Amino acid sequence: MSQARPDGAVGERAGPAGAGTAAATDGPQAVEVWQRANVGLGQVLASLPELRRKASGREAGTRTAVMTLVMVAGVDEDAEESATSFRSLGGHHPCRVVVLRPEPDSTPAIDARACLWRAQATGEDEDHPVFFEEIHLRIGGQAASHLSSIVAPFVLADLPVVMWFPHVLPDPADPLLRLASAVLVDTRSIGPEPEAIGHSYRALLELANHQPVVDLSWVRLQPWRELLAGLFEPEHNREFLPGVHLASVRGKPGPRHMLGGWLLSQLDLRARELVLEDAKHVAITLAADYQGEEGKFEVTRDDRLRAVWAQATLSGGVSQRQGLPLPDDSLTSALSSAVSNLRADRVWERALASAAILAP
Amino acid sequence: MTSTTLPVNVLAEGLDTVRRAPPGVLVVFGASGDLTHRKLLPALERLSRRRLLPAAFAMVGVARTEMSDDSFRDLMMGAIPDAGPGWAEIVKNSSYIAGEYAHPDTFTALQARLKEIEEALGTGPNRTFYLATIPEVFAGVAQALGKVGLNQPEPGGSARLVIEKPFGRDRQTAHELDAALHEVFEEDQIYRIDHYLGKETVQNVLALRFANAIFEPLWSRNYIDHVQITVAETIGVEKRGSFYETAGALRDIVQNHVMQVLSLTLMEPPGSIDAQGIRDEKVKALRSVVVPKLADVPNVAVRAQYDSGWIEGNAVPGYRLEDGVSATSQTETYVALKLSVDNWRWAGVPIYIRTGKRLPKRLTEVALQFKAVPHLAFPKEAATGLNPNALVMRIQPDEGVTLRFGAKVPGQAFMVRDVLMDFSYGAAFLEEPPDAYERLLLDAMVGDPTLFIRSDEVDTAWGVVQPLLDAWGSGDAPLSGYASGSWGPRPAETLIERDGRQWRTP
Repeated sequence: MSQARPDGAVGERAGPAGAGTAAATDGPQAVEVWQRANVGLGQVLASLPELRRKASGREAGTRTAVMTLVMVAGVDEDAEESATSFRSLGGHHPCRVVVLRPEPDSTPAIDARACLWRAQATGEDEDHPVFFEEIHLRIGGQAASHLSSIVAPFVLADLPVVMWFPHVLPDPADPLLRLASAVLVDTRSIGPEPEAIGHSYRALLELANHQPVVDLSWVRLQPWRELLAGLFEPEHNREFLPGVHLASVRGKPGPRHMLGGWLLSQLDLRARELVLEDAKHVAITLAADYQGEEGKFEVTRDDRLRAVWAQATLSGGVSQRQGLPLPDDSLTSALSSAVSNLRADRVWERALASAAILAP
Repeated sequence: MTSTTLPVNVLAEGLDTVRRAPPGVLVVFGASGDLTHRKLLPALERLSRRRLLPAAFAMVGVARTEMSDDSFRDLMMGAIPDAGPGWAEIVKNSSYIAGEYAHPDTFTALQARLKEIEEALGTGPNRTFYLATIPEVFAGVAQALGKVGLNQPEPGGSARLVIEKPFGRDRQTAHELDAALHEVFEEDQIYRIDHYLGKETVQNVLALRFANAIFEPLWSRNYIDHVQITVAETIGVEKRGSFYETAGALRDIVQNHVMQVLSLTLMEPPGSIDAQGIRDEKVKALRSVVVPKLADVPNVAVRAQYDSGWIEGNAVPGYRLEDGVSATSQTETYVALKLSVDNWRWAGVPIYIRTGKRLPKRLTEVALQFKAVPHLAFPKEAATGLNPNALVMRIQPDEGVTLRFGAKVPGQAFMVRDVLMDFSYGAAFLEEPPDAYERLLLDAMVGDPTLFIRSDEVDTAWGVVQPLLDAWGSGDAPLSGYASGSWGPRPAETLIERDGRQWRTP
């Protein structure tokens, strides 16, 4: 680990955040840090209660965890970005975060950094601190190919284990996945070449056959899907659903393919009834008819008002319009929603299968 | 042959993990009032922001205050200074009818307005009538709705009436109110709100009891010595002095909030966590509570009124010096009560209840005090710090569960003492829970009555407290005083101490 001191130091205090002070900012604060190079996993495990013991000398932290989050990063930038997002997530879902940085071509050694973070839980009348652990492991040599043996000791018993591989799709045969209750992926980060999209989507379908897969891009698209579906809640509008004859989806590669796949599979459309267009932001339009009446159903983004609008316009005169604040597009927000619902999603799987056909 | 079956909304598949209101219209009576402004409009806006309201949605405000549609829309916008973009659309769809609640023209106008909205917006005939008015007009509004047929759900639609506590002033007036409502609305159309049930942590009592196998076997007379329910407020009557003079702690807290918490604590596991399953069991539990005899009231109940004192470092006046309160007031601000339950599970387990204003801290909790171990194997001096186990459900604030049990003190000697295992909901679920009104408003529009109080629950709860009302209404029942900032009067301590027990110090 490049930042680690070779001699290490137990109980080394975190830098600028200070220790044990009430959080002055919204985000979690580092309370205690331990780091050491060329270390055994037993030493890392022993550091965790030591970090808590030191912190509890200053204030009683609630020891609560709801899951173990494991992230496997191919490069340092991914490790840092993901750790930051996971950390913010720790303020919503107290969990043990394990960040793995495999380096099979490096010297066989494990460098470790363990940190105790303090988040502020907002109560009805008073706030109280929640503590969670973050463990970074840089694994050099052959051990990098046996990550399941590295992760297993850090998994919290009886709680879900969520794994994330940013910017890569995991190999369904990877033994590490046997520890996972669910796998997080992000189809937005694939592509933009249609071949890459098609290939990756088929690989994801294979992975989804083995365990629940949660797609962060699909999570981000949920407000658009909800708004469009909501336009068909009034009974009269619902009559138009079987009569959809043209669907148009604009957006970047990935999101537009997934939304297109969703419309194809849910509405049983033919490929020629779907138009995909490249655009900076997502927009969906459906044209339909029912007993001679024309209906237009659209969901669009309004940058000026930072809003998303859903609108149904029927030639018979009825129209409905609904607006929402532009959803939070951050990685942290997507992760937070994703880990709240770690189930296999059959609608996503069908959308993915159709999207794979759209992007051969 | 043409099919008349409505197509399924296939685009909604997989999105149903979140419950959303169907297309419809919310009619609020008392739309110019404080409850609408402080609670209902913010709750609606939050529902809109959380994507829980449909595109085909409108609100119609009805009140006696003269106001144009535009003024009402200004009022709606002004109520939410930081509203999201969707709120403006809801406001645009909303309108106002000024009129007397007793006048048929008000309701004829409402009927016409609903038709216009339903045709223009395609909301369908889903109508929720929310009575944010004084209770005295509940019956009149309900009957006036009936006269124009708005009590009858149209095909494919719904007509629901939402009213807030108090549901009567005593058992008799509650009967009268129910009879008037039932002349025009069926019981399954009536949604009686006690906002306490909308609190996430009250619902957590159900989760703790019925989602966990380890607690339920202990949840009976076999292991529990007694139950203590505490609903404590630090505030006095604030600006509600004249209202409180007509209510008192028994009507304001015990008959509704406490009885709801009590029934959730005592009830048997329902066959299903749905409206009928839960409400049937709650009523059964309340019916098992032994109604005190009039002559026994002095032995099982204490009433008291706060005197001056200190709360959180501030000197506060006594109740009789508060605005709107009579200098000779006999209204109780504190109630302590001992109840017993005649059923297989709870026979012989006393339930001690206390509630009051100007107590040292604000909290609501249910404490199950377990029996002591049958034989203490340790020398007496080794267990001086050991008490029987207790399981405490904290409903507010700092919602959570605490289990008190004995543990060895580290060292050579074998000493045991109490330790607390503390679970805080806020530490496991850091998401902001919905406000009680937000939850209940959505439930009413969706048509889920689980968290609303059924007619027989109201009646049974009044039945439990009616002897106290009768005894205390006679004028010669003792009324103790207690210093603000204390846990209540001396007679309340006597009430529990003569059973060889003590109030907890939460």
